[in-house]
Amino acid sequence: MTSLPPHPATVALLLADARLPGGGHAHSASLEPALRGGLPPGDVPAWMVGRATTVSLVEAGTAVVAARLLADAGPVAGTHDDQAGDASVARVDARVDALVRAWAARTPSPALRDASRLLGRGYLRVARTLWPDSAAVRVVSRYDAATRGQSTGHPQGTGGLPRPVVLGAICAAAGVAPADVVRLTVYDDAQTAASALLKLEPLDPLAPARWVLDACAAAEEHVLRVAACATPEDVPASGAPLTEGWAEAHAVTTQRLFRA
Amino acid sequence: MPETTTFPHAPARALRLGVAGPVGVGKSSLIATVCRALADELAIGVITNDIYTDEDARFLRSAGVLDPERIRAVETGACPHTAIRDDVTANLLAAEDLERDFAPLDLVVIESGGDNLTATFSPALVDAQIFVLDVAGGGDVARKGGPGIGRADLLVVNKTDLAPYVGVDVARMVDDASAARDGRDVVALSRTDPASVAALRAWLLGVLERFRAGAHVAQDPGPMAPHFHADEEGRGYLHSHDDPSDGHEHAHAPAR
Repeated sequence: MTSLPPHPATVALLLADARLPGGGHAHSASLEPALRGGLPPGDVPAWMVGRATTVSLVEAGTAVVAARLLADAGPVAGTHDDQAGDASVARVDARVDALVRAWAARTPSPALRDASRLLGRGYLRVARTLWPDSAAVRVVSRYDAATRGQSTGHPQGTGGLPRPVVLGAICAAAGVAPADVVRLTVYDDAQTAASALLKLEPLDPLAPARWVLDACAAAEEHVLRVAACATPEDVPASGAPLTEGWAEAHAVTTQRLFRA
Repeated sequence: MPETTTFPHAPARALRLGVAGPVGVGKSSLIATVCRALADELAIGVITNDIYTDEDARFLRSAGVLDPERIRAVETGACPHTAIRDDVTANLLAAEDLERDFAPLDLVVIESGGDNLTATFSPALVDAQIFVLDVAGGGDVARKGGPGIGRADLLVVNKTDLAPYVGVDVARMVDDASAARDGRDVVALSRTDPASVAALRAWLLGVLERFRAGAHVAQDPGPMAPHFHADEEGRGYLHSHDDPSDGHEHAHAPAR
């Protein structure tokens, strides 16, 4: 008897579910740094729309490109036990390198890059456990092990893969369509902030649910464009300098509920 | 079991020991005591899970019992319970990093953020766990039970030196705890009582020895401790809900 793999939509739901133990509960999607940095709580809905149409699209584009290049890696290339050879492994690694550099260039805050790499490690545990036989997951797993702990002078910074690259590998493994990868990334970011907001400010828990939907709706006009990203150069370069600054200040405080 | 028994899968990594218990019972102080008692013979790292700050990490660093770099704090997103049980990712990654950065470590101690009586560590995170109560919390707390009190590898009744000032009978509290634990280990501890510190130290070294021999199996205290049901004649029986042969069902307060 052969069993069918889970539907890609089901996998997307799993990844969007905060109950999935990937380490996300200790993160606020930059909300705690923003509030500590002086963002008025009343501005959070507009701030969420701002993220959904800027930094979330950087993450989403990175995930989309990762999914494409890892799906193209072929069923066995880049894994230990294949016959594809070192040249194939090196070729895949070079493409992942280029993507990580593109993501890092669009994420100038070291604190945010560190936080994303930590989330990437959490996602990698999820990926390795749930899709152990996926070529895409094995490629990122091997790459992560090889680059972890590299010095900050290296293009990969402190090493390890950021969350969107690992997310891309999972989406390649599960066959999640590029447009849904974008929607998933935007939704996850918005919902992470919404959930953190309830720990940080007093309000009706249903209020931020509305804001999540509003933020996702605002991103919708960008979905197809970002879903079409095919190379590292295609990844949107829509930054948010104030968010980067708040993240740096937050990283050196001693009073934090959330990692970033 | 003969001492010469060897096990094929003895782990190469450090023993991971969880320390849980309500706020203020002396978890950080207990860890400082462990470090002081064992720092000469074991390479130790510590991870703290504070709720609001890195207060516990700073306390331990300032205690001067361990190289400050070997003490790391992780954020819990205001959910200390989640961080040690439902999603242990942050703690697991921190433990891996400590073990890599200071290899070889013998022991990684993970201190939970002070929570309530229901907080216990997942066996996916720790190999063994200590649940801590203190006499100042009241002599009856041990009787109230809970998974940590009932089934942690060790229950520590801390601050016994305060017993005369808070009107608690330590021997009685330990007896209650032992009864609630079906005979599992209990240590009545005061950091000013060398004999009690020696008992804690001996317990920990025993666990470490069994762990290294591959003979230690991580226990899960679980979300519900074994508990007692009285029958109509005033007798009763003790059971737990992880025993599939126990067909008994009844309503419990919903899990939180």
